[in-house]
Amino acid sequence: MTVTRVLIANRGEIALRILRACRALGLGAVVAYSEADRESLPAQLADEAICIGPADAKRSYLSAAALISAALVTGCDAIHPGYGFLSEDAGFAEAVRDHGLTFIGPPAGVLERFASKEGTRRLLASHGLPTIPGSDGMLRDEGHAIAEAARIGYPVLVKPSAGGGGKGMRMVRTPRELEGALPVCRSEARSAFGDDSLYLEKYLPENRHVEVQVAVDGSGHGIHLGERDCSVQRRHQKVLEEAPTPALPPERRAELCERAIRAAVAAGYENVGTLEFLVDASGEYYFIELNCRIQVEHPVTEVLTGIDLVQLQIRIAAGEPLGIRQEDVQLRGHAIELRINAEDPAHDFRPQSGTIERYLPPGGPWVRMDSHLYAGYEIPHVYDSLLGKLIVWGPDRDAAIARAKVALDDLVLDGVVTNREFHRALLDNDVFRDGAVTTALLDRVGAGAFLASRRA
Amino acid sequence: MSERDAMSERDAMSEGGGRALEARTDAEWTADHATIDRLADELLPALVAKLRASGLGEIEVREGGWKVRLRMPAGTNDREPARRAGAPVRTAGALPGGTPGGASSATHAAAGHASSAGGHAAVAAGARGSGGDGGRAATHAPRPRAVATSPGVGFYAPGPGLTVGGRVRAGDRLGAVDVLGVPHDVVAPTDGVIGGSYAEPGEAVEYGQELVRIELPGAAHDGPGTPEGDGRDTAAPYALAPDALAPDALAPDALAPGPDA
Repeated sequence: MTVTRVLIANRGEIALRILRACRALGLGAVVAYSEADRESLPAQLADEAICIGPADAKRSYLSAAALISAALVTGCDAIHPGYGFLSEDAGFAEAVRDHGLTFIGPPAGVLERFASKEGTRRLLASHGLPTIPGSDGMLRDEGHAIAEAARIGYPVLVKPSAGGGGKGMRMVRTPRELEGALPVCRSEARSAFGDDSLYLEKYLPENRHVEVQVAVDGSGHGIHLGERDCSVQRRHQKVLEEAPTPALPPERRAELCERAIRAAVAAGYENVGTLEFLVDASGEYYFIELNCRIQVEHPVTEVLTGIDLVQLQIRIAAGEPLGIRQEDVQLRGHAIELRINAEDPAHDFRPQSGTIERYLPPGGPWVRMDSHLYAGYEIPHVYDSLLGKLIVWGPDRDAAIARAKVALDDLVLDGVVTNREFHRALLDNDVFRDGAVTTALLDRVGAGAFLASRRA
Repeated sequence: MSERDAMSERDAMSEGGGRALEARTDAEWTADHATIDRLADELLPALVAKLRASGLGEIEVREGGWKVRLRMPAGTNDREPARRAGAPVRTAGALPGGTPGGASSATHAAAGHASSAGGHAAVAAGARGSGGDGGRAATHAPRPRAVATSPGVGFYAPGPGLTVGGRVRAGDRLGAVDVLGVPHDVVAPTDGVIGGSYAEPGEAVEYGQELVRIELPGAAHDGPGTPEGDGRDTAAPYALAPDALAPDALAPDALAPGPDA
């Protein structure tokens, strides 16, 4: 299972991130791009770039046949799926393997085992992780849903078994609301994930989203790399991530991370992954899901630990031992990542398109910008709105926040409206500065209030 | 996969015309072409006018065993498709096998030189890059031609009937690109005469890569706007409005100006 040349089956900043990891490992890298990404930076910087299909992702970044064929014709021996698209698709991982290529991620069998969120909750609960009270299996019909909701106690969250990103998810307070939500969630889940199975979960108000980064090699040696707090969300989309979490004291954080890695190893997880937890107001944590991919916010952990997670993914997939002991993982200081999106916070975060007129990433010590932008780049409107991620490190949280504000001001990005003003307001906000943001806060208060609070 | 779905739709669109060149008898060939000629003469001019006037994206008409579908290329008024169509292919000549046909635009242009009169090579190559909007070649109208492009990433196999100078009809299968063992048809985007090939048999090709050059019947005239069918059986009256005729999956890329005249 040697890996010498990697096909990068993704786009945008993560394609560039993977390209850089390949280069640092001395590997060849080929970028697979759709017609809409012909002029993209990763396509321009790669050793070789190959057009796999039209802009429509179903015929390019989501086409297993196109991607595998592209890997074969360009002489690659591995495929890195990035995040989103086919990154957690067991069928794709299997097809990659069957064509004699290495899938950079968990093996197909592992993806299969963790494919269902509900099944994963049960599995990890059996290995000692606390989980949120929820429905007994998938909802069979309306009657079953109403009975289960009554047993769990309202409010409850209707959730699709597949996918993420808040699609197909609804919070309901009454049986009547539940009846109304079921068909909507089913249809959303079906169109987004091709799977309309739903389950119920007790809704925890005022919760935080805390996730533990783990890495496990093929021999079952595992480490955790600390946790990340992703409580700053808008409509279930993460906006800002940081580590360590301000929601838990140090000894509780250590306990959470240790329990997470023990359960992940015991359940047979392999490669780099993330266990997501909800933390309630009293500091209790509940396991919610396991993400079998590199995450958008992985740089937070990288700057905190000094460990390159994408390189680690590649090395584990190539069959190498982890080579890092738990005691080698030092969590130093505080890291913050701001997602810079092409969306207008003053107009309900409407996605923006346009051509980047000027772009200069911020600099200085402990400032990192992961972005595929360049002056003259035309943002395709067919994909997501992520323009880049601004990551800063500081010896403590206050220092990191101060550095984030400077970096945000330093960033030159003209030609398209971004959510920069929103980040400015957030970094100045008292609730955020107190480390008290909960996942529902932004939606409850409204982005407008955040922006207004800064102007006042 | 969805790519295959698109292909079968394309086949269905052109019905008899979508079958392999070699699979037809002479009688069938003649009959098919008589039908196509009649549809082209009677139906298409009216449909084209109707499509333009209606502002609709697509019109489809069925008659007998034939189906004619006209579709405006997506974003007809954008610069984007034109630019993409003309953009150089970037898969380098580093593909395994290192076939001389390579896939870089430079190699393409060179292949064009070799197989043509050569006089307009530089001009046409300029048109590729600029898409004709204010670029270097803005003053030179591209010679009327079309290019059949690759429907996928894989290995190219030209059809046995593919010879330079051979006549083809829109929808004819010119060859295939093998994507993980599944052949995806390379289809003629328009009527014309095979002018040359940009890729070698067995060559690794990417999606949208130019494979076969087709000289349009109107080539003797200069530029668009010669719709008068002049009675010659090789001249299709609609040859210069080919983007309206191209199957959707091929438009607008199929009309990328070739590297050479």
